[in-house]
Amino acid sequence: MVRQARVFREKQGIDLKTGHRVEALDLEEKGGKGSTLEGEDFEFTYDKLLIATGSRANMPDLPGVHLPGVFAVKSLEDGRRIKKFLVEGPVKKAVIIGMGYIALEMCEGLRSRGIEVGMVKPGPVFIPWMHRELAQVVLEELETKGVAVYPGHEIKYIEGGKEGLKVVCADMELDGGTVFLGVGVSPCSELAEKAGLELGPSQSVAVDRFLMTSDRDIYAAGDCADAYHLVTGKKTWIPLALRANRAGWAAADNVIGGKVALRGVAGTAVFKVFDVQVARTGLSVKEAEDAGYEPAEAVIQSRSRAHGHPGSTGIRVQILGDRKTGRLLGAQMVGKEGVAHRINAAAVALQAKMTVEEFSQSDLAYAPPFGPTWDPLLTAANQVLKRM
Amino acid sequence: MRFVIIGADAAGMSAASRAKRNKPDLNVTVFEQSRDVSYSA
Repeated sequence: MVRQARVFREKQGIDLKTGHRVEALDLEEKGGKGSTLEGEDFEFTYDKLLIATGSRANMPDLPGVHLPGVFAVKSLEDGRRIKKFLVEGPVKKAVIIGMGYIALEMCEGLRSRGIEVGMVKPGPVFIPWMHRELAQVVLEELETKGVAVYPGHEIKYIEGGKEGLKVVCADMELDGGTVFLGVGVSPCSELAEKAGLELGPSQSVAVDRFLMTSDRDIYAAGDCADAYHLVTGKKTWIPLALRANRAGWAAADNVIGGKVALRGVAGTAVFKVFDVQVARTGLSVKEAEDAGYEPAEAVIQSRSRAHGHPGSTGIRVQILGDRKTGRLLGAQMVGKEGVAHRINAAAVALQAKMTVEEFSQSDLAYAPPFGPTWDPLLTAANQVLKRM
Repeated sequence: MRFVIIGADAAGMSAASRAKRNKPDLNVTVFEQSRDVSYSA
């Protein structure tokens, strides 16, 4: 949601200065300087500072990424420019480079405008963190809705083509009136780095559980900052909205004299690909192995409602447990209903550091319109228990 | 006390609003490089 800047100024008494870019910090003097969009220089001093500079869309290192009609998808301004471009074209075909959740979410908006969509990426595996059986459900949904998916094609460059643009791969070409870049984000941490603050994973700004950086008068929160992972206890960089809001609150509380510590993130995430809901929390198999666990995995197929209840659709669940400690490590789920919020039970179990056995004994809700007697998560937990 | 925030999106504006609500006499300044603020907070 966009809130007008004047609401913050007039109703909340916050001195909000838009069009002001901070370019350098001086930690010794506790100050900084920058310039405005009008080209005027400004300076400021602080007692306490919060760096909340966010993240930016990655630009792949390809010739042609700066051609007109090639867009990254990140800011509200990007959205405005894209919408205008699609309407004015009018664009009939689009190519998306990348297959992460932003790229996947783009497909629905484009297809609803009747635009043909092709997706391409160099990596050979579609949604690599996801169990293959679950990823296949997402892939089939895309193909059913008319999206052509091309993983495993090395991309050489973008140039002009008969539709306007052309993505040229080593072994194929894709034409489109527009090309979207959905190849992930990076933290905007240059200001912190130049000032000499410590950095964490993926060059994010390192913060402790109180959101304090390596300078005791400077905090960092949101997409630019790192976090502790609830499962591994190690630093991670998973920039998502709830953490950003929560970290902003905690940093503010600590600035005004509080002592609020955040526990961390589990990587709980959910997104929608046309009619399919996709959700995850915790570690994937590879992440678990990399963190030194011995993961046991089970994948089950269950239903969104009681067997035979009208409207019941399939839900697939993957659950991961650690053979050494019995601990629950993660869960993934796909299905047409009952997925997005069901994942939260597993997210809470991860925070409570439950074993799979403890989780399998959870008293989860049942009524025929909402699931089988044994919730799909419990069925999956029971299955993985046999393999631990 | 002067509390300066760089960035007016989810984290920055959550912090600004919360700090001002809980300590109304705090001097809160937010610098935002773009023209837009807080579209996900």
